[in-house]
Amino acid sequence: MRGKRAGARRVERRVSAAPATAAGIAEDVGRRRRSAVEVVSESLRRIEELDGRFGAFLEVTGELALEEAGEVDRRVAAGDALPLAGVPFGIKDNVWVAGRHTTCGSRILAGFRPPGDGTAVGRLRAAGAVFVGKTNLDEFAMGSSTENSAFHATRNPWDVARIPGGSSGGSAAAVAARLVPAALGSDTGGSIRQPAACCGVVGFKPTYGRVSRYGLVAFGSSLDQIGPLALTVRDAARIYRVMAGPDPRDSTTSGEAAGDPEASLEEGVRGLRVGFLAEAQSAGLAPEVAADLARARQAFRDAGAEVLDVSVPRAAAAIAIYYVIASAEASSNLARYDGVRYGPRLGDSDLKALYVETRTAGFGPEVKRRILLGTFALASGYYEAYYGQAMRARALLAEDFSRAFASADVLVCPSIPSAAFRLGEKVDDPLTMYLSDVFTVPASLAGLPAISVPSGLADGLPLGLQVMAAPFREDLLFRAARAFERETAMPADAPPAAR
Amino acid sequence: MAAHRPGSVTPDVVRRIAGLARLRVPDPELPSLTAQLARVVDHIDQIREIPPEALPVGLPPPPTPLRADAASPGDGERALASNAPRLLHGHGVVPRVVGTAE
Repeated sequence: MRGKRAGARRVERRVSAAPATAAGIAEDVGRRRRSAVEVVSESLRRIEELDGRFGAFLEVTGELALEEAGEVDRRVAAGDALPLAGVPFGIKDNVWVAGRHTTCGSRILAGFRPPGDGTAVGRLRAAGAVFVGKTNLDEFAMGSSTENSAFHATRNPWDVARIPGGSSGGSAAAVAARLVPAALGSDTGGSIRQPAACCGVVGFKPTYGRVSRYGLVAFGSSLDQIGPLALTVRDAARIYRVMAGPDPRDSTTSGEAAGDPEASLEEGVRGLRVGFLAEAQSAGLAPEVAADLARARQAFRDAGAEVLDVSVPRAAAAIAIYYVIASAEASSNLARYDGVRYGPRLGDSDLKALYVETRTAGFGPEVKRRILLGTFALASGYYEAYYGQAMRARALLAEDFSRAFASADVLVCPSIPSAAFRLGEKVDDPLTMYLSDVFTVPASLAGLPAISVPSGLADGLPLGLQVMAAPFREDLLFRAARAFERETAMPADAPPAAR
Repeated sequence: MAAHRPGSVTPDVVRRIAGLARLRVPDPELPSLTAQLARVVDHIDQIREIPPEALPVGLPPPPTPLRADAASPGDGERALASNAPRLLHGHGVVPRVVGTAE
């Protein structure tokens, strides 16, 4: 009897876990085949039932989400055409959403409520998106495993003993487990693309300046970008188009027209020059990653692309450059968490004690390491040797990329050097953890658009392929990513633990 | 501070930068933190091999455009009310930050 009931439950779960993309939901809700309230209720039900296994969410706001879904249904009934009608989103908890907390996964911001929606979130809301909750992250987005959250670690839906990647690990796990069809992350050195690859979903970082950073809590301001995690390249392109464009509240947003990359998505890669990054092929790849890359090369050839090898010589120094610049910017940006403007007021017998005690108790070990590293790089006597040199090296790397894009339309390399590692495996070894981002950091430093597309499973764990394009050439990037997506054999089902 | 030499991330250097960063490093944590930072700095030291004159040629990036210096609504008062530990006459109360030793 017990066995029978369990079997019946499994069947019911498989039916309810039917894949549903953002574009598919928006079409259903827009044509009133399903209501936004029904779609959001189903997402909330899955979170309630399954998220205990993964810990993808820090806060779930079901009542607010259902109210907002009702509003979407009223707008659809009134004739509004909404490109994301009724699509449930998880939002990384370093991005403002009205009526929810924003903790950045840090004790120092526990209880903080933002003044309203960030610009990107406001644009999603206007397009019909509904926000079901805030997703877990490494504290202040500093990490590659989501183990650095002050609240709890997130687990990979493909193997709950393994990390989901980071820092947007909650968003990646939530999409992979089909708790939501889409989520927002932020990417400073790979924090969207690396977890997307570890969890077998699509993750996209736009060109620096494409998407407003207003309402994204600052980490490395010359690098930070908001972007989508989704099940398909089409969904990522649509979410990007909705969010992109100038914003008077972020003076670094570009006035370049974002265009509509979804319109040219199916144009294929026939005649396109697809450059495989030479440095990524000589970097001691794990055998399964090397085999995956060889399959990708063949897939692009089969799709009609001209495949060639392209060198970006200074990509090899990218981790060194990145950890000076990002840490220096972090040490400056995080100075505001001092017990006066933000954070609990501890040790307030005198002002210095207030600063020191609040920051020492409020920040976790990785955030402290980055602040110390950044302070070191900016300190008198070290500044020129580290920060000055890193800025020069960054400019040279960008020049390498611009030469590479003279001979190739897009550049390709693995997204991650190996599949997701086990929880706790690298937590005491920061340098090894930092090297997880070896393939994602170069595009960040050069401000390029870059996407990770699932490339298949190795021993049951996902791998990802990264496609990069020249600044503001998201159209080419999405075309190449879609062509590759068509050729790969990533299973359409949710991971076994989420069925 | 003296100019950096490779391998010179010492416990004393870590203490001094922690002071600048307004962080306290408890004594038992100092050796492992020093070792972790020294290993990262050793990796970073590769960028010091780039000759300073190796600057890319070309135009500098355009300056960041600035918006008009005009007030616009930002829901600041509502946010202050929900986050400030203490309000007095509609203002957030903070510890004394001027006229102190800091």
